[in-house]
Amino acid sequence: MAKLSLESIPWIKTRRGSSPAGFGRKGILAGLKFKLLGREADKGLLFRLLMYLLLIDVAFIYLKPVFYMVTTMIKGAPDLLDPAVIWVPTGVYGGHLSEAIEMLDYAKSFGVSLNVSTLSAVLQVFSCAVAGYAFARLDFPFKRFWFAALLFTFIMPPQVTILPSILLFKELGWINTFWPLIVPAVFGHGLKGALFVLIFRQFFSTLPKEMEEAARIDGAGALRIFFRVMLPISRSAIIVVFLFSFVWAWNDAYFPSMYMFGASDVPLSVGLSKLNAQLAMEAQEGGLRAFLEPVKMGAAFLIILPLLVLYAFTQRWFVEGVERTGLVE
Amino acid sequence: MNKKTAQRKLEGSMFIAPWIIGFLAFVAFPLFYSLYMSFHQVRITVTGVQTTPIGVQYYREILFADGGLLYDDLVPFLREALVMIPIIIVFSLMIAILLNLKFAGRTAFRVIFFLPVIFASGQIIGEFIAQGEGSLGIISSLRIDYMLARYLPPSWAGPIGNVIGSFVLVLWYSGVQILIFLAGRQTIARTVYEAARIDGADPWSTFWKITLPGMVPFIFLNVIFTIVDLFTYPSNPIISKVTTENYGLSSALAWIYFMIVLLFVALALLIYTRINASLSPRRQ
Repeated sequence: MAKLSLESIPWIKTRRGSSPAGFGRKGILAGLKFKLLGREADKGLLFRLLMYLLLIDVAFIYLKPVFYMVTTMIKGAPDLLDPAVIWVPTGVYGGHLSEAIEMLDYAKSFGVSLNVSTLSAVLQVFSCAVAGYAFARLDFPFKRFWFAALLFTFIMPPQVTILPSILLFKELGWINTFWPLIVPAVFGHGLKGALFVLIFRQFFSTLPKEMEEAARIDGAGALRIFFRVMLPISRSAIIVVFLFSFVWAWNDAYFPSMYMFGASDVPLSVGLSKLNAQLAMEAQEGGLRAFLEPVKMGAAFLIILPLLVLYAFTQRWFVEGVERTGLVE
Repeated sequence: MNKKTAQRKLEGSMFIAPWIIGFLAFVAFPLFYSLYMSFHQVRITVTGVQTTPIGVQYYREILFADGGLLYDDLVPFLREALVMIPIIIVFSLMIAILLNLKFAGRTAFRVIFFLPVIFASGQIIGEFIAQGEGSLGIISSLRIDYMLARYLPPSWAGPIGNVIGSFVLVLWYSGVQILIFLAGRQTIARTVYEAARIDGADPWSTFWKITLPGMVPFIFLNVIFTIVDLFTYPSNPIISKVTTENYGLSSALAWIYFMIVLLFVALALLIYTRINASLSPRRQ
């Protein structure tokens, strides 16, 4: 018996001949120990059990609010008042959702959010890739100084520059338009632009130099090399940056609320805070909290839904892109 | 040769030029202008911006005269941040190492664990907190807050209690950090682990002697990222105080706040270089 169980331990197989675990009681104990703890951290039964427990727990924590959001949203009036109904509603009620759609002005705000996020993501991918490539592979005057400037931009809270920026954009006549959200992205700045430049810089500096050198010998200039050689092979970095940029631009309510406080066409994120304010007012006027909650959840769901769809389609490349060390400094 | 390097410099300058223009227009200019404004009384009129020099009065006001603006919110927030940063780092490192193993259902778990990246940047997370999703049932059932209040000075019991009370929130903030660790873990060669296994190292010492030292740069990167992320989060108490009501005062407040962020980053950098120096002879 002991021998059989020992044979099934991978470690014994790899170190046949020098096994310290002999036969007899000692062998059984050692075999049991290896079964439970494993030779490698990830092979033991005990470890596996703990790992699944932990992962499932945390996954539950991450998923629970989403479930809550969805189930609350579709609860009708009887379900909301019935304390026995917590997770599974007795029926599907679409009234709260349509109310949320109306209050958010969903069709219009969705268009605004989509335009702003897509534009800034595409622009940031492009401009940050160009800047990242320059930092990784090209030479230019005062490179170290500009790199320090890049790091500085990364750690600077946007609030330090927000007020002068508002004045600047006011001067340019861009307040209450989308330009303040788009134009900095053209130049590789904008929301978390410095981080994206850093990601691209890291990605390009891990690529082998040989390809570029071959292209250079063939007489290609930096522009040509960048577009023909570097960009096509940086799919994973592009996807990571695009997704981050899109998601953050979509979720961000701070910059739009600062630059577009008087605009009628607001992105969804700003729409949500407006909706919250409106609901808070209704609550003060005697609205029932139990009925306001589903509207809120419906609105939150409507905002997150496009991101979930996008993520569902791109997660395969996203995971792969992260794996390929596109992300690390 | 000389001509060639000159040409390379020209090419490089061409590539970086848009970024530098953007930096000057959207970072450097507003930065100096806000520094300038923080020493001036600013009035926005129809004809333009009028400034009258006021010296360090705003700084004095924030730092010494009126404690309400800075200290009442900042000090508890800093304490919370000090508690949260290590929790976020340790938690995300642990999850990243687990997600890096090979096991059934790994892909599904990865998809779920990247969800916070989508949620945690927006106001949705605010909705969840308002729901009471931030707290764990076990905390109240174990009466941990009571224990904290009993054994810790009240100035620390509050923030720590807050962090524990919103422990789930801490997990939600760890999305990007998990990604960074996961990517960083790929940089440690598989051969190193194989060599350690052949030498008979147990998993425990493999973790402490190989994985952890190899992850030190990423831990540092994550500490910086977490500091920046926590401190620039729009729901952060100080940030909501930077308003268009009083440009000069708000600018001064933002600058003081920025200095505190820099202090934290510098502290992290200092610790990192110390650790790196103590590890490097062993790492050869």
